[in-house]
Amino acid sequence: MVGKVKKRSFRYRDEKSAYFMIMPAVLVIVIFQVVPLVMAILRAFQDYNTGEFVGFRNFVYVLRQEVFVKSFTNILIFLVFIMVIMVVITFLFAQVLKRMKNKFGSATKIIIYLPTLFSGILVSIMFLFIFNYGGGLITSILLGLDKDPIPFTIMMPWPYILIIGISIWGGFGYHSLVMYAGAIGIPESYYEAAMLDGANAFHRLWYITLPGMKNYFILTIINLASGTLMMFELPMMVTGGGPVNKTMTPILYIYNTFNDFTVDSNIVIAGAILVAILICAINVVIFRIIRSEKSMDD
Amino acid sequence: MTSYKTKKIVNKIIDYFICIVIVAVILFPFIWMLPATMKDKKEIFAIPNTFFPKNPTFGNFKTIFTIPFNGFNFLRSMGYTLLTSSVAVVLNFSFNMTAAYAFARIDFRGKRFFWPLCLSTMFVPGITILMTSIRLMHLMHLVNTLWVVLLPGIANGYMIFFFRQFFLSIPSSLEEAAILDGCSRLKVYLYIFIPMSSAPMVIQGMGCFMANWNSFMWPSLTITSNTEIAQVMQVVKTLSAYYKNNYSVVITAVFIAALVPISLFSVFQKKIIGGIAISGLK
Repeated sequence: MVGKVKKRSFRYRDEKSAYFMIMPAVLVIVIFQVVPLVMAILRAFQDYNTGEFVGFRNFVYVLRQEVFVKSFTNILIFLVFIMVIMVVITFLFAQVLKRMKNKFGSATKIIIYLPTLFSGILVSIMFLFIFNYGGGLITSILLGLDKDPIPFTIMMPWPYILIIGISIWGGFGYHSLVMYAGAIGIPESYYEAAMLDGANAFHRLWYITLPGMKNYFILTIINLASGTLMMFELPMMVTGGGPVNKTMTPILYIYNTFNDFTVDSNIVIAGAILVAILICAINVVIFRIIRSEKSMDD
Repeated sequence: MTSYKTKKIVNKIIDYFICIVIVAVILFPFIWMLPATMKDKKEIFAIPNTFFPKNPTFGNFKTIFTIPFNGFNFLRSMGYTLLTSSVAVVLNFSFNMTAAYAFARIDFRGKRFFWPLCLSTMFVPGITILMTSIRLMHLMHLVNTLWVVLLPGIANGYMIFFFRQFFLSIPSSLEEAAILDGCSRLKVYLYIFIPMSSAPMVIQGMGCFMANWNSFMWPSLTITSNTEIAQVMQVVKTLSAYYKNNYSVVITAVFIAALVPISLFSVFQKKIIGGIAISGLK
C-alpha cells in the first residue's frame, strides 16, 4: 500500500517534468510544421482570390499543366536509373569492402563518404567545370583526339546522363557504407557451414547474402526513392530544367513558380501536395512488395 | 594448393584494383578543382587543359574575399552561416534530446498523442509546407532575419526518434538508483544520459550542421532583401552566375565552401563512418 502511494506521487512528479521536457519541441513542431501543413491543405482546396472552397479544381488545374506532368515523368526516369544502378553497384562494392580488412579498406571507406558532405550546388559546379563546353577537361580531351566537343548540358541524352551520373557519384559512398553494414552483419559461420555442405558462390549469394541483407536493400531503396523525388539543386544548376523541360523536376517546377506571378500559389500548393502523395505512394508500394515477398518466404 | 593460392592472390589484386578505381573516381572532381583555384580566367579553360597552373596566383582568393558583388560578401556570409549552423546544432540538441528523453523514459498522460505528433513530421516532405511556411514567416515578421533560418528547424521529428531509440537502449538500473536517491528527472537526464550519448551526438550534430551549411532553397526564399546575412550556398549560387566569365573565381568559392564540412568531417570521421551502421538514415 505504501509502495503504491509512493509510486503515484512519483508518477505525478514525472508527469510534470515530462511535460516540461517535451513542451519546447512540441510547441515548435506545432507552430512551424503542423500549422503550415493545415494551412497548405486548406489552401489547396480554396480559390486564391476569393478564398472559397472549390473542391479539387486546383489539383485538376495543376495536372493540366504540361510542364508539371512532364516533370513527373522525368523524375520517374531518373528514379528508375539511379535506383537500379545504385543498388547493384553499392551491393557489389560492399562485398569488396567486406574483404578489405586492413588500413587501405578503412581509408577507402572514409574517402568514398566525402561527396556526401557537399551540397548539390557545390557538386554541380565541380562537374560543370569538368564538362564545360568552352574549354573544360572533356572538351580538351575530345579536341586532342580530333573530335568535336559535345555540349553536355544541352544535347540529348547527355543532360540525363550527366544528372544521373552526378547523383550516383554523390550518393555512392553513403549507400555503399549502408550496404557494407548489412554485409558485415551476416555471421561468417553461415558461409562456412554452406561451404562445408558444398554450396557454390551463386548458392551462397542467393541463399545467404541476399536474404541476410534484405533490410538494407529496403532501407537503400526507400532512401533513394525519397531522395531522388526531392531532386532540385542538380537540375537547377546543371541544366536549369532544360533542354525544353526535359530535365525539369517537380520540386524545381514548384521553386520556379515562386517568381512567376502568373501562377497563383494555391495551385502550386496543390502540386506540392501531389508530390508528397507520390512519395508516400511509392514508399507504400515498396513496403507492400517486400511484405508479399515475406509471406512467400513463410 | 598452389592454384588455390594464386587464385586468392588474383582475387586480392582485383579487390585492390576496384577500390583504387573507385577512390580515384570519387576524388577526381575535387582534385581537379584544387589547382584551378590558382589559375587565372584565361588559363582555366585553355586548350589543352593542364593540371598545374603555369603562373600560380592568389588573385581568385583576393577577389572573393575583398570584392563584394550585388551586395553579397562571401566572407561575411561564411561567418553568418557558421554562426547559424553551430547555433542550430546547439538548439536542436537542447530541444530534441530533452524531448526524446521524456518519450523514452517517462510515462505520462498524453504520450500516445504527443509521440505520433512528433513522429508524423518525419513523413511530411518540406516542399508541401514550403509555401505556407513562408507565408507564416511573413506574418511573424521573421523574414530577412537570422531567426528565419534557425527557428523552423529547431524541433526535428527524426532527431527525436533517433535519440529516443538510443535512450531506450540504456539500462534503467542506474537511473532508478539515482531517482531513489532523490535525483530529479532533469538531473538524471543532464548528468547520466547526456554524458553517455557522445557517439549519437556526433552523428546527429554533424548531420544537423551539414543540413544548415548546405541549405539553399529555404534561405533563398526567405532571405531575399537583407543580403548581409545571406547564407553561403545562396552566395555561391549567385556568384556562379555573376562570375560566369571568370570561372576560376567560382571554383575558388566552391573550394572554400567545401573546406568547412571537410575539416569537420576529418575531426569526426571515425565516429561518423562507424555510426552509419546504427543510424541507417542520414
